[in-house]
Amino acid sequence: MKLHVMALRTLSRNKRRTLITSFSIAFGIFLAVTFTGTGDYSYTSMINTSAVMGLGHISVAAEGYNERPSLSRWLPDMDRVRKKALMIDSVEGAYPRIMGQAMFAAGAKSVGGMFMGIDPVLEKPAHNFFLRSIVEGELFDTVDGRGAVIGVEMAEKLNLRLGKKLIVTVTDKDGELTSELLRISGMFKTGDHDADSSIVLLPLARMQQTLKYGTGGVSFVAVHVDDLRAVNRVRREINGSLTGAGNVEVLTWRQTQADLSGLIAVDRLFNYLMQLLVGLVIAAGIMNTMQMSVLERSREFGIMMAVGMAPGQVVRMVLVESFWLGCLGIVMGIVLTAPWFIYMSETGIDMSSYVGRDYSAGGVLVDPVVKIRLFRESAFFILITVFLLTMAASVYPAIRAGRVLPVDTLKDSTF
Amino acid sequence: MVTKRSMALSVCFFIALHCAVMDPVSAGEDNGRLRAREVLEKIDDLWRSSSSKARLQMEVKTEHYTRTMIMDSWSKGRDMSLVRIVLPLKEKGTVSLKNGNTMYTYLPKTDRVIRLTSGMMMGSWMGSHFTNDDLVKESRLSDDYEPEITFEGIRDGEDIIEFALLPHHDAPVVWGKIVITVRADDYLPVDSLYYDEDMILARTLTFSDVKEMGGRLIPVVLHMVPADKPDEYTELIYLQVDFDIGLPDSLFSIMQLRGM
Amino acid sequence: MQLLSLALKNVLRYRHRTWVTVLAMAFAGAIMIFYAGLFEGWMGAMETNAVSMEMGEMQIHAQGYRDDPDLYTVIPDYRRVIRQAENSGLIASPRLLGGGLAAAHENSTGVSIRGIDPRAEEQVVLLQNHVFSGSWLSATDAKQVVLGYQLARILDVRPGSEIVLVAQAADGSMANDLFTVQGVLKSVGQGIDRGGLIMGDRDFREFFALPEGVHEIVMKRADNGVLLEQATKKIAELVPDLEVNSWRELQPTLARLLDLSDVSMIIMLLIIYAAVGMLTMNAMLMGVFERIPVFGVMKAVGFSGCRLFGLIFSETLLLVTMAAVLSLALGVPLSYYFERHPIDFSFLLPESSTIAGIAFEPQWYCRVTAGSVVMPVVFLYIVALLAVLYPAWKAAVISPVKAIHHI
Repeated sequence: MKLHVMALRTLSRNKRRTLITSFSIAFGIFLAVTFTGTGDYSYTSMINTSAVMGLGHISVAAEGYNERPSLSRWLPDMDRVRKKALMIDSVEGAYPRIMGQAMFAAGAKSVGGMFMGIDPVLEKPAHNFFLRSIVEGELFDTVDGRGAVIGVEMAEKLNLRLGKKLIVTVTDKDGELTSELLRISGMFKTGDHDADSSIVLLPLARMQQTLKYGTGGVSFVAVHVDDLRAVNRVRREINGSLTGAGNVEVLTWRQTQADLSGLIAVDRLFNYLMQLLVGLVIAAGIMNTMQMSVLERSREFGIMMAVGMAPGQVVRMVLVESFWLGCLGIVMGIVLTAPWFIYMSETGIDMSSYVGRDYSAGGVLVDPVVKIRLFRESAFFILITVFLLTMAASVYPAIRAGRVLPVDTLKDSTF
Repeated sequence: MVTKRSMALSVCFFIALHCAVMDPVSAGEDNGRLRAREVLEKIDDLWRSSSSKARLQMEVKTEHYTRTMIMDSWSKGRDMSLVRIVLPLKEKGTVSLKNGNTMYTYLPKTDRVIRLTSGMMMGSWMGSHFTNDDLVKESRLSDDYEPEITFEGIRDGEDIIEFALLPHHDAPVVWGKIVITVRADDYLPVDSLYYDEDMILARTLTFSDVKEMGGRLIPVVLHMVPADKPDEYTELIYLQVDFDIGLPDSLFSIMQLRGM
Repeated sequence: MQLLSLALKNVLRYRHRTWVTVLAMAFAGAIMIFYAGLFEGWMGAMETNAVSMEMGEMQIHAQGYRDDPDLYTVIPDYRRVIRQAENSGLIASPRLLGGGLAAAHENSTGVSIRGIDPRAEEQVVLLQNHVFSGSWLSATDAKQVVLGYQLARILDVRPGSEIVLVAQAADGSMANDLFTVQGVLKSVGQGIDRGGLIMGDRDFREFFALPEGVHEIVMKRADNGVLLEQATKKIAELVPDLEVNSWRELQPTLARLLDLSDVSMIIMLLIIYAAVGMLTMNAMLMGVFERIPVFGVMKAVGFSGCRLFGLIFSETLLLVTMAAVLSLALGVPLSYYFERHPIDFSFLLPESSTIAGIAFEPQWYCRVTAGSVVMPVVFLYIVALLAVLYPAWKAAVISPVKAIHHI
C-alpha cells in the first residue's frame, strides 16, 4: 500500500512527464482500436458480402463440387441437410441452391453465364445479395414456375425486358443438352460487372426437373451463421450430423472463397506489422521515461537502500509506478478513443466519393463506408497488450534502480 | 467456337417435314388452325421419309471469308443425323453426329470425339450462319410451335400458302414467330422468315431451284441471310439425294464416328 | 565553439541520461527509417507488381477491339507500332487473342487462347515466373501450351498431358489440333485461372489461319522515371488510328484500390512520425526541465540567458546527432536486409499469387532511397529542436532563485 502511495506521489510530482507518457499510451490504444477495429469491421463485412453472393458462410456440397463446380456433381438430399443445419446453434439460415453454367438466349442473341437455382419461399434478402439488388420487377414467386431474375447488363446484351422470354440451355446430369423457357420477372443490379453480366436466378424446382436431379437434388446448401467466429464449430457440427451420408463436403468460406481468405490474411499481417512498429516506438518512449525517472532519483534510491530498503522493494516500487502509469494511460486512452469509436462504429467515413460505389475486392463488393467494429476479444487483447507493454518497458529501468549502489549515487551530486 | 450442325438436311426438310408431325387436332380450335394442320399433314405425307442420304455443297460468304464445302449427309427419323465433310481436304473426314439431344463432333486430325456442352451451343457450325442451337431446336419445331394459315392465294404471281408458327407458351425456343411460305400446288417451301420476340426480322431462308432429285421434286438451293448483315449469306445446294434407303441405327453412334 | 565544447562536456558528464535519451531516439529513428523503406517499397511497387504480372503498363488495340473482341479486329502493321513504341522508350510485346474449346479426357470447356512471342513477352510481364508445375513456353518448341490453374483442374491435365483445341479459324474452317501441356500456372487472377491458355505466336497463327496482324500490344516503360500518363500520351500520338490505354484506364477499379492502399500507407507513415515525435519531445522536455535547478545555479554564477539557450540547443544538437548516427547504423542495415530478403507473405496464399483477384508477387520489398533515409533523420532534428525550444526559452528567462526551487 505504501508503495502505491509513493508511486502515485512520484507520478503527480512530475505532472508533465506523466501526462506525456500516459498520452503516448493513450495514443497507442487509439491507434490499435482504429486499426484492429477497421480490420474487424471490413473483414466481417467482406466475408458477409461474399457469403450472400451465393455460397454462404458454410456450404454443404457434393464431394468435389468446390474443386470442380459442375452440374454433374450434386447433393441428393437437401432437405435432410437443411433441417440438420437449422437445428445447430448460431445457424441463421440454410438455403438449397443449384449453381452451374448455362447458355442464355433470346432471339438471335445468346451469351454464356451462370445460373443460380433458388427457392423463392425460403430465400431471404438478408442472405441473398441478388434479392437485395433487384431494381426492376420482382423475384418469381413459385419454386417450379418459369420466372427468372437477370442481371441488368445481361438483359441489355440480350435486349430483354420484364415479361420477355429467356431460353436457358444446360447440360443435364446425364450430359444431355436441354433447354427451358423462362420469363423475366425481375432484374438486379449489384454494381459488379461480372455478376450483372453473367448471373441469372432461376426457380429451384424447375431446374431440378430440367437437370433430372429429382426433388431434393441441389448443388449445395448455403448455410449462414450469426457470428463468423462460430463458423468452425458449426462446420464440425454439420459434419458430425451428416456422418454416413457419404460424398458430402462441408466447407467454410475460407475454402470456398480462398481468394478472399488470402486477401484478409495478408491485410491482417500488414495491419499487425504496423501495430507492432508503432507499439515498439511507444514502448521505447515509456522505457525512456521510466529510465530517466529512475536515473534522476538514483540518489533517492541510494538513500532508501542505505537506510535499509531491500533492492527488491525498489524494483517493486518502480514497477508499481509504471503500473499506475499504465492504468492512467488506459483510462486516458478510453476517454480519448470512446467518442471516435462511437462515431466510427455508428456513422463511419464514407469513402464512396473516392473509391466509387462499385468497388470490389476478391470478387466481392466492398462497402465504401469505412466503419469500426471491435470484437470483445480484440478489445481485451488491445488493453492487455498495451498494459503488458508498459510493464515490460519498465522492467529494465526497475532492475537498474534496484542495482544502484548506495555509496556511488551519494557521491555523484548531480545524478 | 466450332461445332456441328448435324443435319444439313434439317434446314430444308425439317421445317416442312416436322411441322407436319403435329399432335392430333383437338376440339374447339378455329378453322384456320384446323386447315393449317390439314395442309401440313399433306405436306408431311409428301415429305415423309424414314431415311435419306445426300451430298451437299455449302457456300458461306462473310465479311472476312468465302468458303465452299462439299459434304455427305445421312438422316433417319427426326432425331438422328450425321454429316461428313468431303472437301476441302483440310477438313475432310470431320463428322458431326446428332442423336436425340446430344451432339458429337469427330475430328480426324486429332482423332477425337467431342461432345457438345451447353456453352458451345451458340457457336457457328462450320463457319456458316447457323449455330448448333439451330439444329437441336429445328427438330422440335412441331413440338414447340402452333401453326396458323395467315395467307392463301396469289402472291408475286405464285399460288402460295403462308403459315405463321407461333411458339407454345412454354416452348423453349428463342424465336417470337416463324413465317413459312409454301407453294399451294405441291407444298414445296418458298421461304421462311424468323422473327424475334419483338417481331423484328432476324433472318431469312429462301428455297429455290425446284428439281427432281432422288425421285422427288425438291428445291435444291437454300439461301440464308442474317438480317443484321445483309451482305452475308450461307447457301446449301443439294447435289444428290436418295430417300428411303435402309439405314441402321448403329450408323448414328459414336462407335461409328472414327470408322468413317 | 566554446558553447559547443561546453555542451559536449555536459553530454559526456551525464553519461547515463545521454545514453537513455539517445538510445530511445535512435531506436525510434531506426524504426522510422525501416518503415520509410517499407513505405518506399510499397508505393508504386504493388502497382508495378499487379501490372507487370500480365496486364502490362499500357496496351494498344485496334479501334473497337475492346468493345467487341473479334478475331478479325487486328492491328495490321504491328511491327511498325512496336518500333515506334521502342523508339519512344517503351518495351513492347505483341499478342494474338482468340477463343476456342479445349478438351481432354471426357472434359471440355471454353478457353481464351493467347499467342505470344515468349522472348518479347518475358521482357514486359512476369507470368513466366508463376508456373506451378511444368515449365514456361520456350521459344523453340512447337505445339506446347501453358494453362491456368483452375483450367488444368477442370480438364484434369498436368504437364505432359495432351489436349485438343477446337476453334473457328479466320478462314471459317474448323481449326482443331493436338497440343501438349508444357506448364500449369499458379493462380494469377480469375481470367487466366479459369480459361487462360497460352501458346507460341507461330502455333497460334497456324491454328487460327491468321497470317498477319496482332490483337494486342502490351508495353511497359523502359525507364520508370517517365510518368505513365506522359508515356501513354506520347505513344497514343504516334498511333492515332489505334486505341492506346494505360492500365489505369483498363482497370479503373484496381487503380482506385491501389491508390487507396497508398493513402493508407501515407497515413501509417504519418502515425509512425507522430509516435516518434512524441517520444523525442518527451525525452527532450524531460532532459531540460529536470535540469532547471542546475541552470538556475549557472545563471546565479553569471551565465547569461542567451548563452544558456545556446548551450541547451547545442546539447540537443549533439544528442540528436548521436541518435541520428545510431539510428542510421541500426535502420539502414535493417532496411537493406529486407531489401534483399523481402517480407514474404506467399505462405498466406497457398498455390496462388492473387489477392482480390489481382495477380501479385507475394513479397514486400523494403527499398532504401535517399528519401527513406534522409527524411526520418531530418524529422528527428526538427522535432527535437522544436521540442527543446520551450524548455530552453524557459530556462533562459527564469530567475535563478525560482529555478533552484523549480519542480
